[in-house]
Amino acid sequence: MKNIGSFIAVFLYSGLIFIPLFLALNRLIMVTGFYPSIWFNSLENNYISQDILQFTLFQAIFSTIVTLMIGIPIAWMLGRYRWPLESLIRTVLTLPFVIPSIIAAMGILTIIGPHGINIRADEDTWWWTLIIAHAWFNMALVIRFCEPILTTLDPSLEEQLRLLPNGQTRISRFRYLWAPLLVPSITAAACMTFVFSFTSFALVRWITVGNESLESMMATISSSAGIEGYMEFTSEMVLGASIIQFLILLISLWITSIIQRNRKSKIPQVNTKFVKTKNSMGWLIIVPALIFALLPIISVFLGSFRIREPVENEIIFRWSFDAWVVAWRGSNSFPPLTDALINSIGYAIITLCVSLPIGFSLASTISKLEENHKFLSQVLDVFTMLPFALSAAMVGLGVLLGIIKLDIGFLHNFWPLPALAHIMLTVPFVVRIFLPAIRSLDPMYDENAKVLGLKPWKRFFSVKLPLLKSSLIISTIFTLAMSLGEFGASFVVARNSDWVTLPLLIDSWRSKPMKDPFTGPASNVVATVLMLITIILFLFAERYRTNKEGGMF
Amino acid sequence: MLKCKALSKKFEHILFDNLDIFLEPGEILAIIGPSGCGKTTLLRCICGLEELDSGYIELNGEEITNLKVEERGIGMIFQKPVLYPHLSVSGNLALASKNKHSEALTEVGLSGFEERSVHKLSGGEGQRVALARALLANPKVLLLDEPFSALDNKLSLKLISDVRKLLKKRNCPSILVTHNYKEAELFSDRIIDISLIEN
Repeated sequence: MKNIGSFIAVFLYSGLIFIPLFLALNRLIMVTGFYPSIWFNSLENNYISQDILQFTLFQAIFSTIVTLMIGIPIAWMLGRYRWPLESLIRTVLTLPFVIPSIIAAMGILTIIGPHGINIRADEDTWWWTLIIAHAWFNMALVIRFCEPILTTLDPSLEEQLRLLPNGQTRISRFRYLWAPLLVPSITAAACMTFVFSFTSFALVRWITVGNESLESMMATISSSAGIEGYMEFTSEMVLGASIIQFLILLISLWITSIIQRNRKSKIPQVNTKFVKTKNSMGWLIIVPALIFALLPIISVFLGSFRIREPVENEIIFRWSFDAWVVAWRGSNSFPPLTDALINSIGYAIITLCVSLPIGFSLASTISKLEENHKFLSQVLDVFTMLPFALSAAMVGLGVLLGIIKLDIGFLHNFWPLPALAHIMLTVPFVVRIFLPAIRSLDPMYDENAKVLGLKPWKRFFSVKLPLLKSSLIISTIFTLAMSLGEFGASFVVARNSDWVTLPLLIDSWRSKPMKDPFTGPASNVVATVLMLITIILFLFAERYRTNKEGGMF
Repeated sequence: MLKCKALSKKFEHILFDNLDIFLEPGEILAIIGPSGCGKTTLLRCICGLEELDSGYIELNGEEITNLKVEERGIGMIFQKPVLYPHLSVSGNLALASKNKHSEALTEVGLSGFEERSVHKLSGGEGQRVALARALLANPKVLLLDEPFSALDNKLSLKLISDVRKLLKKRNCPSILVTHNYKEAELFSDRIIDISLIEN
């Protein structure tokens, strides 16, 4: 009875995560037969997916390199020097990571598209634009992984090194102190950047013209996969792509996890930050970085008011609220913005109500098992991390092929179904947010509450939960933001026009022919609404973030 | 009255074996011994935070050996005051009882501290709040795990005297564990040296 909560959480989690995926895999194998060589051949030979692995890998590797080149100098400047309005600068520079990728895509598209600087038509340009877009999205990761170490490292380490023969120049200090300390954080950030770039969907879909990544290809062909006797090659391609993607993501996450584990507690930190100096030359990095971070966000906002108007043979632009009115009312093809907003909020609330208790219970169970059952705790720990190796499209496919096609009549009209994909994607993040907080909770607090005679529920609500307030708020906000901005899985799952969410509405508006003057602006309106909600949530979460070791959260 | 019979506990080595402890109503007992000899573990076993390997505990005629911690009616004060940082002094006291906060604080010499943040308390003040909270819960026995050891000499002498008076006034039986013989002598009615007991 004592561990019933843990059992329920593990049981529910297993069911929610693995049953849809198992059913999807089962359906795909039923359609194609168990011939792995055919799956990979199909992926290699089909014209849709030729060179797709090469493109996905190269863009992810280049994106990682460029992200590090942009992110490391910014992290160094933020960590080592003093800036006026420092927390505001940090917030702006880390903001891109929480902005849903579909909004980033819209912002960048507004800049490079035909009504911006118009460079999207050239293949070389869109390749580099995609790389820079991934760098924009992921530079916050490098900052978040590296900056806390730079800020909180015990200053006596550098002071001591300055007095030694090998520490008398900046270069030697960098070589003997900073580089060895930063390499693990940089590698962890690089791995995560690689994972996010490898599975990028919205940015690939909207920035490149014609190129597909494994992720975007799977999302695009998902509707025809898993049907017996109909375009069976799509099922083979989905199987081949999923397996390759799963293995590559698993290896990347495994490396990240090893680095993170070894990094912990090896760096002597001080609780109080050292006295930073000013660096006037550093503005040469900080100002362009701020412009870089804000440009796509501002473009989305301004783009929602900028309406194209053909006047005789010329195209002029006027500023008005017309696109807001159009998006608010909807059209014959698209629902009003309010419908998508209600759907998005509804899915986010369902996701929160399920993910938070399950994630919290799983984190508590892992922490409890660590006391006496080390091996079991490690098994559960890895088990909860496995979904990180599943991309949004793979999760979406799991729900679509595993659940919806089970009973197409009923489940096709089952409104809450997209939330299932959101739950699958958010639970692992909730576990990762809660776990370090639960681990660091002093057991004396609970013991003392016990000797004061407090019953378990009273201890939970009066002592444990308030002590975990920061993690609770951050995981709540993160879950809401992730669900609200989720695009890849929803794109695959939402087979009913009543299930349209804000990211799907953005995508739908943008998919309209450009001859309609509201195509771009209306998509920017929806993107602005989603962006404002996300920014408000992010600013609220920032007040409670206390991670000194560095990491995604 | 507290009766502990044949208490045994070992981790890698035997901490105590077949140990008997009796505590009369209102009596203050001190258990002394060097660091690591099992004093703290003994208190944790008595209040139920650790499980005994074997033994029997009876409080006021009722066996409590297998009762949950929160059902035993035993209070404990830890070496460092465990005050909940998200609650004010009054909030911390409310975990033990909703009423009589002012009286409890006055008893420990901290009147007017109700709304104070626990972050602003000194070590001695924190320990007094922990004591007030423990007493508000009306424990049948109070266990004190070296609560004076982290304080400076002058402050600990004052606190020893104040706490002893308070416990005697309330006729609350108590067990103090400490490695400091002088502290034990000043605080208690009777002293047991756990290191002299043969395991």
